[in-house]
Amino acid sequence: MTTTAMPFAKALNAGLRAAMTADDHVLLMGEDIGKLGGVFRVTEGLQAEFGDRRVLDTPLAESGIVGTAIGLAMAGFRPVVEIQFDGFVFPAFDQITSQLAKLTNRHEGALRMPVVIRIPYGGHIGAVEHHQESPEAYFAHTPGLRVVSPSTPNDAYWMIQDAIASPDPVIFLEPKAKYWLKGEVDEAERALPLHASRIVRRGTDVTLVGHGAMVTTLLQAAALAESEGTSCEVVDVRSLSPIDYGPILDSVRRTGRMVYAQEAPGNVSVGSEVAATVMERAFFALESPVIRVSGFDVPFPPAKLEGIYLPDADRILEAVDRALAY
Amino acid sequence: MTPPDDPALVRVLAADGTFAPTPEAERYLPLIDALADADLETFYRDMVVVRAFDRQATNLQRQGQLALWPPSFGQEAAQVGSVRAARAQDHLFPSYREHVVATTRGVDPIDIIRVMRGLTHGGWDPTDPRNGNTRIYTLVLGSQTLHATGFGMGLVFDGRCGTGDPTRDEAVIVYYGDGASSQGDVHEAMVFANTYRTPEVFFLQNNQWAISVPVATQSRGPLYRRGAGYGMPSTLVDGNDVLASYAVSKLALDEARAGDGPHAIEALTYRMGAHTTSDDPTKYRTSDEEESWARRDPIARMRAHLRSRGAAASFFDEVDAEAAAYADDVRVRTNELGGLEASDMFAYAYSDAHPLVQEQERWLAEYEAALEGGVA
Amino acid sequence: MSTQTFHLPDVGEGLTEAEIVQWRVAPGDRVEVNDVLVEIETAKSLVELPSPFSGTVGELLAPEGQTVTVGAAIITIAGADAEADASSGLSAHGEPAAPTPSEDEAAGAVLVGYGTGGAVTSRRKRPAARAAAVTASVGVVAKPPVRKLARDLGVDLAQVAPSGPAGEVTRDDVVAHAQQASVFRNIATPAAPAVREHTIPVAPVASVAPAAPASAPAGGREETIPVKGVRKATASGMVRSAYTAPHVSVWTDVDATRTMELVKRLKASPDFADVKVSPLLIMARAVIWAARRTPMVNAAWIDNEDGSAEIHVRNYVNLGIAAATPRGLLVPNIKDAQDLSMRELARALEKLTLTAREGRSTPADQQGGTITITNIGVFGMDAGTPIINPGESGIVAMGTIRQKPWVVDGEVRPRFVTTVSGSFDHRVIDGDGMSRFIADVASILEEPALLLD
Repeated sequence: MTTTAMPFAKALNAGLRAAMTADDHVLLMGEDIGKLGGVFRVTEGLQAEFGDRRVLDTPLAESGIVGTAIGLAMAGFRPVVEIQFDGFVFPAFDQITSQLAKLTNRHEGALRMPVVIRIPYGGHIGAVEHHQESPEAYFAHTPGLRVVSPSTPNDAYWMIQDAIASPDPVIFLEPKAKYWLKGEVDEAERALPLHASRIVRRGTDVTLVGHGAMVTTLLQAAALAESEGTSCEVVDVRSLSPIDYGPILDSVRRTGRMVYAQEAPGNVSVGSEVAATVMERAFFALESPVIRVSGFDVPFPPAKLEGIYLPDADRILEAVDRALAY
Repeated sequence: MTPPDDPALVRVLAADGTFAPTPEAERYLPLIDALADADLETFYRDMVVVRAFDRQATNLQRQGQLALWPPSFGQEAAQVGSVRAARAQDHLFPSYREHVVATTRGVDPIDIIRVMRGLTHGGWDPTDPRNGNTRIYTLVLGSQTLHATGFGMGLVFDGRCGTGDPTRDEAVIVYYGDGASSQGDVHEAMVFANTYRTPEVFFLQNNQWAISVPVATQSRGPLYRRGAGYGMPSTLVDGNDVLASYAVSKLALDEARAGDGPHAIEALTYRMGAHTTSDDPTKYRTSDEEESWARRDPIARMRAHLRSRGAAASFFDEVDAEAAAYADDVRVRTNELGGLEASDMFAYAYSDAHPLVQEQERWLAEYEAALEGGVA
Repeated sequence: MSTQTFHLPDVGEGLTEAEIVQWRVAPGDRVEVNDVLVEIETAKSLVELPSPFSGTVGELLAPEGQTVTVGAAIITIAGADAEADASSGLSAHGEPAAPTPSEDEAAGAVLVGYGTGGAVTSRRKRPAARAAAVTASVGVVAKPPVRKLARDLGVDLAQVAPSGPAGEVTRDDVVAHAQQASVFRNIATPAAPAVREHTIPVAPVASVAPAAPASAPAGGREETIPVKGVRKATASGMVRSAYTAPHVSVWTDVDATRTMELVKRLKASPDFADVKVSPLLIMARAVIWAARRTPMVNAAWIDNEDGSAEIHVRNYVNLGIAAATPRGLLVPNIKDAQDLSMRELARALEKLTLTAREGRSTPADQQGGTITITNIGVFGMDAGTPIINPGESGIVAMGTIRQKPWVVDGEVRPRFVTTVSGSFDHRVIDGDGMSRFIADVASILEEPALLLD
């Protein structure tokens, strides 16, 4: 197996290129994605290669971008929309939830909506308002949408292609803090299906679960815990809708304790859903309640407070301590 | 709001049916002259039949057979004229009141009924050839304008328009109302349409009311003038004149399909009925106003015109009979409609199998089986 | 052709009632489909209702001015056509309502927009009596895995003494409780009786003369050993016992791991440094304790010369230990073994064994026994059906103790397992008594701590 080390953003770029090469009706659309290659350079070089009818620099109107992507899907295209930043998806929220999520159902299956909406999300880049949010719960909560978030370059490479190939609308959340994270990418063989979760570190005492950028923090916490004599297992959820509970439950049944960590505000979050489901399905295995470590339930603060707002290894370990105290 | 005597108005039939083209209508006369008597009779028949259908559907709601009915009463000419101007290969994006647009293209009226009866959100398959490329109704106001524009972009990218062959070049016509025209999506749709030069006609039926809010609240100036702001040709037509509606639509569609980019049409008409069967117009508009528009009724106008061209009384009687039979057939078939299965709820949420949906469907089946009278 | 009833529909998405403003028809009027029947006023507006049927107006069921609930019948039309049947409208679940003979009663279920209120009917089957455990353990602090364990072991959490740091019932608490509950039905040890012995008269029964023994076969291929001395005495005692007392044997397997652990600890204890400690010591204490709980095993059947019989119940234990000696099988006994401490008993056992092995057990040592233990475990045997020592009513066989698979906490684990068996005089003791006695002995072997009474 030969792999190439590349940053997350480049892995996305390679995955997009592969998808566009394989199907000439795959279209990219978004603000500044053509000439500029996207504000994170994810689409760099693609307009030069595929032309401005395959990589569109659209007008500045998120609802318009998603709405016309829907129309393009109706006309037989597979649009891949880029929303420039998490906080700017909201003007498109109606098209995403009232239309994109529901059109297949509204047509009783006669119409497919193979639209991917790529959204850089999450904090840790010292950004201004609206550029560091984690809106995944709104979309995971909407029936008809699929929601995924890769945490590694290899996952990014494969999951973007699988998302494009899906006949259903996919909200593709890219942890922007990881765009420059380098990792090995195996361009020959896909490791996991789009909606699979994965145990990324084995352990025996507590199961740490999370998605996106948080997976790295979980691994950091696990390493620290190890030095204190606590063995943590880490699960990367990868898909937020549907959630693959198999590995999560298998892990919790072995460790008996679970902590879910997320950047998003905790009230009514993906972590809450996973906690409730694990409680329901692994009740008799639980030695302690499932504990959530989340962003606080306040608007995301100015960047100077980002480090306090976002869960870090210490906050995760504090939850681990609480779990072990039971 | 748009004054009815706006000099930009295109009209050929006066309210009393007299053939009296306005100055702006001159350029459309060749298109109207090209119509045969049979075409005119078709237009008339289309309008009478749909009005009977519409009235019957309203009655069905009053009889407890439908949850809701949004009447197209009064807007027949704008809809018949525009749909008859579309070519077979064109794509039509209605809002939720364009019943005759759907049925003229081949949609079974019962499929519209099914939507209002709570049996389906969609009603028909737009990709089924027998539905004539008619998209399903969209209830979120204005959303369909973006979908139509996106579709139009797809036609451009695939070279399905702009070849110069009007029998092959495809166009899109999207219907929306004066209320919807305030929605941001409509603005964005026009922005995108003009950036990408979509083969598209934005057909605005200004029926003067958005439920209880008059069009003056939606716009200080005439709505048709907005189009120019986006860089596209924009036409004002008397929406109660089926001939004028036909002609402006035909020209706009053919120019758009040829590569000219999008066009906008504002059709002045009137929502003779309520917004839907849940509405009470007596609370916000006067009977004087309704009567003044009744004097400009599209069907009466066309009947007068046809009579002036020598149509026989028997023709009108036949049309009335046909309309009554059509409406009664809908009534009978509505009463025969069946119900839904719980599994219908789960079948189409996703195109690909989804584990959570499958699990819940299984659960519901077991739950129902365990209830009194349940079948295991 | 039939009479159809028109029920008030919900004409405005969620309306619950309407007022009859004006009837436009009267009984006897001919109406066609879609003719206006009545004007009603709802919370939203005035609405005209068109007829779903053709026919003759029958009855107006609500007067002008009355407010009617959605779903109520308002008018009947006779001679209506079946196809115009409004009862094929939607039921509450979007399915056509089944036509019923009395549609008036079916009112609310017939039409679309049936309103948002009304009586609730339940299709849920009443659950059968819920498992009592649902509320029994409310208030007990225990983690889910512990609760499951309790349920699996049939333990009532409310009865378990919690030992967890937060006051919670732990896994060990549950297991311990389960073991006690399963093994011990009644762990009370009765108080020592006041008298040393008492007599129970027995109703006279005809005695049966023992059959004459068969003569020995002629020699040649066989060796003849004359029977005399100890063997002779033993043999005749055996015969007397076997052919007089109806012998019944019962036995049980038990996890004696804790006995082995106790023996190990005692051996390591300074108090027992100078004395032999073996599982037989624990067995001896067990038999003594169990005999007090089931006194009949410590009794004797006495046939009187006048033909009557009685049972001597002894409230002291002269514990006999069957010993294989150079002279033959001897059963010396430890007098008043019930009064000995563990150390004293250990000493007594040691002395008895040594004495017997040296062939120095006196007749007095061998007389007066009340119950006997025979240790066949030293021969590797698990169980046996030993012959009761004459003058006694019960004899316990101690089997070998070795590791065998045993189920502990739902898992198969190697434990020290032994069989406790015994034979009993069924004239004196019934099945329940002998079973309880053996079970009690086994209980001690399983949990020697019970001796700490």
